Amino acid sequence: MTTSPPSVDINPAVGAMLKTARDWLLTEHALFQTLDLKPLLIGRNKATFSVFLPDDFCDARGKVHGALLTLIMDSIFGLAAFTALDELKPVATINLRSDYLGDIDPGGRVICAAECTELRGDIAHVAGQLSDAATNRPIATGAGAFIIGSRSPGRESRL
Amino acid sequence: MRELELIERYATSAPIAKWLGFSATMSDGGAVFTLSFDERHIGNKLIRALHGGAIAAFLEFSAQATLYARLGGDCEITTINSDTDYLKSAKAQDMKARVNVLRLGRRLAFMEAKGWQKDETTPVAVARFRFRLGDMEK
Repeated sequence: MTTSPPSVDINPAVGAMLKTARDWLLTEHALFQTLDLKPLLIGRNKATFSVFLPDDFCDARGKVHGALLTLIMDSIFGLAAFTALDELKPVATINLRSDYLGDIDPGGRVICAAECTELRGDIAHVAGQLSDAATNRPIATGAGAFIIGSRSPGRESRL
Repeated sequence: MRELELIERYATSAPIAKWLGFSATMSDGGAVFTLSFDERHIGNKLIRALHGGAIAAFLEFSAQATLYARLGGDCEITTINSDTDYLKSAKAQDMKARVNVLRLGRRLAFMEAKGWQKDETTPVAVARFRFRLGDMEK
């Protein structure tokens, strides 16, 4: 049975967890500190962040490597899946498809907007896009599936 | 120039290779790539797993390096899109990868990469890539 998440405010417990996670990401996590994540919108089924593009992730041409765009989408898409939940459960990526639409130089920022379009049982479907924060030019689109309630830490399988 | 030298040249030219801790060796079955684990590759500190994006980045760079070497180091490579399947949680350890060229045409290349940690027969992730070769405006 398809169970779309209702369009209501984010679950308070999930919201509190997201706030804790955000504070932790911004202060404790080396990767996300490098990317200087700035939340623009976090709501039920939605997450939009502004993300810095450092020189460390360039390709041989001096442009931002597409793999960084995938890394950003994987992070923010997972967060969007999390906002759709009614209780705290772990979220793990099953698969992610990325389409690269254009080059972008390092030193600027992108906007990553993600939406959990469907929550069907324990599978969340998320889609979104990246755009140049300065020009609004589309840089990449993505779509992925995430599993809710993956096994506890220490178990090998993520599914 | 030998394949490994071309791969190393490609890696040296791209800063993201340094972030990945990227290296390559040759084996009987072709190039084997390595992501040297570092704390910066962790996605979730609570479960100490590699970030899915770091895994996808490693597999994509491995595929690009393979393509660069296959083309003799003389071709512009643009990734059109990628699909990554995460088969199991990747631990806070080094990761290995091997790349398979599915089709290498004049304008397009289709590749797949498989990444593993403990055992090559139990991969943690697989990915497919489509690349545009040469100048996209022509």
